[in-house]
Amino acid sequence: MKRVFKTLGVLALGSMLAACGNNAGATKQADTGSEGSTQASESKSAEGVANVTIWSPTDTAAIEAWWTEKIDQWNKENPDIQVKREAIDRADAYAYENKITTATTSGNLPDILYVDGPMVSYYAANGITVPLDSYFPADDLKDFMPSTVQADTYDGKLYAIAPTESSVALFYNKDYLDKAGIPYPSDTDIKQAWTWSQFLDNAKKLTTADYVGTNIIMDKGEGIIYALGQFFTEGGAQFVSDDGSKADGYINSDASVKTAEYLNEFIKNGYANLDPVKDEFLNGKAATLLGGSWNIADLEKSNLNWGVSYFPVADDGKAASPTGDWAAAITKDSKNPDAAGKFLQWAMNSDNIASYASAVAKPASRTSSYDKMEGWDSGARALMKWQLQNTGVSRPRTPSYSVLSTDFSTAMLNIFSGSNAKDELDNVAKNFDENYEMYYKK
Amino acid sequence: MEAKLSKKGKREYGDNIAGFIMSSPALILLIAFLIIPIIYTVYYSFFTYQVVRPDNIKFNAFNNYVKLFKDANFYVALKNTIYFTVIVVPVQCILALILALMVSSKKKGVAVFRTLYYSPQITSMVIIAVLWTILYNSNANTGLINAFLKSIGLQPIDFLNNPKTAMNSIIFMSAWQGAGYQMMIFIAGLNAIPGEQYEAASVDGADWFAKLIYVTLPGLVNTIKYVLMITLIQAMKLFTQPYIMTKGGPRNATKTLVFYIYEQGFQKGNFGYACSIATVFFIIVVTLSIVVKRISRTN
Repeated sequence: MKRVFKTLGVLALGSMLAACGNNAGATKQADTGSEGSTQASESKSAEGVANVTIWSPTDTAAIEAWWTEKIDQWNKENPDIQVKREAIDRADAYAYENKITTATTSGNLPDILYVDGPMVSYYAANGITVPLDSYFPADDLKDFMPSTVQADTYDGKLYAIAPTESSVALFYNKDYLDKAGIPYPSDTDIKQAWTWSQFLDNAKKLTTADYVGTNIIMDKGEGIIYALGQFFTEGGAQFVSDDGSKADGYINSDASVKTAEYLNEFIKNGYANLDPVKDEFLNGKAATLLGGSWNIADLEKSNLNWGVSYFPVADDGKAASPTGDWAAAITKDSKNPDAAGKFLQWAMNSDNIASYASAVAKPASRTSSYDKMEGWDSGARALMKWQLQNTGVSRPRTPSYSVLSTDFSTAMLNIFSGSNAKDELDNVAKNFDENYEMYYKK
Repeated sequence: MEAKLSKKGKREYGDNIAGFIMSSPALILLIAFLIIPIIYTVYYSFFTYQVVRPDNIKFNAFNNYVKLFKDANFYVALKNTIYFTVIVVPVQCILALILALMVSSKKKGVAVFRTLYYSPQITSMVIIAVLWTILYNSNANTGLINAFLKSIGLQPIDFLNNPKTAMNSIIFMSAWQGAGYQMMIFIAGLNAIPGEQYEAASVDGADWFAKLIYVTLPGLVNTIKYVLMITLIQAMKLFTQPYIMTKGGPRNATKTLVFYIYEQGFQKGNFGYACSIATVFFIIVVTLSIVVKRISRTN
């Protein structure tokens, strides 16, 4: 009964907003609540059989097919552990997280939950997910990308495990570089990658009346901290303290402010659009692009004469690159955590990760999986893989991540439209510290 | 006499029961999805409540409210909400009235225009907001409005990324989207004005303008009051447009109260705090509605 009231509480604000008008986000919140409760009754059926339910976002047809095939195979081979997956729609950026929130308050979480990499700490710190160390001992983790293990670890324990990774590199339009007389940057030697100064200088040279020099805005939400965050690492800054408890003196340090101002040079001078149109680079409206591993397939299909190089490095040679993808975690509400753990061990073995990563066309998180995947030993994919193994850094790990990410992207957008960088970053630090202090201070 | 009374009383009692039974589906839904949530929102506004930690709720008395009244973002959101309301209500209502006057005549083909003007209403606001984001795009190669400005030799305007133009851009598209609905209500109001009044005015030699001032507008007073009221309340709840088009930016220029509630509650997980903003917002809207109702009644 107590739970019912707690759920009502979460629904309360949702419905109040919904009552206040055509608020898509809030109504969705109310809807998902009722779905959550049907969920619970299903997870404890036949005796002797452990039922494991998985929630993950609805994905492309290839991945949905992968899930169906793998779960069928598992269920046939393991009659004592029956797995079921529910694909959850991510109608907008936060719809999936809202559903998790509602299920958390009502105690209706599934056994296995897919969460976005940087949110691992948040779910772990709030006791929503449980450690996975017993299922993935240190020896196994050696095969995983360093950034994967880093992102999925909180407070020294592994709380999630990601099958795939992501990386960002610099794509360029060969025709436009030729026209501007700029030599192609290397895709085999990071020492020949563009430095910050070269990147800015070339973006200036490449900007014409018909196209801009570069595209650095992936989206105006998580894409800001994801794609631009590693410039801060390269610039010698850090978002938060190592234990993820403090932002003041880190995100607003001199190095941070300088990095933000450097990035603003692109927007301020018109070398990059703050509102890039969709597929700006693909359509020849930008000469270069800070693009992800997911952009490769479309580029290969296009007629564009393109090349790829490393994520720009600092002038002193310091290199970092964005990483991170969704990861599987086991929740506090799981009745059969060991069964769920066994399934995860199997789903995350080298072969299954290889077929999963191939289906989704993303870089695998396990080094050994690449032996079973085609196309990753040359070109853009090989470069992404190299970055993951050598320069990849995870996003800041802290339970207050959502506050950090939201406020950081707001701050950067404000800086891009003319606000003072120091003031904006001070504000991020203040809000972060306040949030951490309020909920996580021990 | 006495018997008669009690019979009447019995019937009234019976009527009441029947009335309650018949209205109960609506009443139950109202209580479950409006009254109880409102009570809980007020209740939780006195707690420190991280959204995923219902097991760790701490009573903090008026802390949320103390913080709220010191919160610069709250005042920015309040200011933006008021600015939006003050501008969009008259603009939208006048636009709707003009449209209604244009399409209320019984000329042939007028129904087509009526449908056209109403059509933004039947489209989801989300879709319209996405479309207008593209229309407003600062790049003249994609933004239709800027392509037009460029073609007539003007500089492109960065509508949604400039704090000075962002809210006005949202106001313009909102008035465009919303006017169709108010137009329909005005048409109904116009049709209710007796034709004889216009005939009499014509006999007295009134031109169309005199008819508008002395016949149409006085006949529409009640409709106008109603339209003002609903537009006002709707305007206060602005959320979808800034959520889709600007994410509350640039530099908080389009952050509204409802957007701020959403940001605090669902994006940052400050549930108790979000409830306190929602409570204050609720009080503001209710007060405003009462005030507007009083004013229009005395008139």
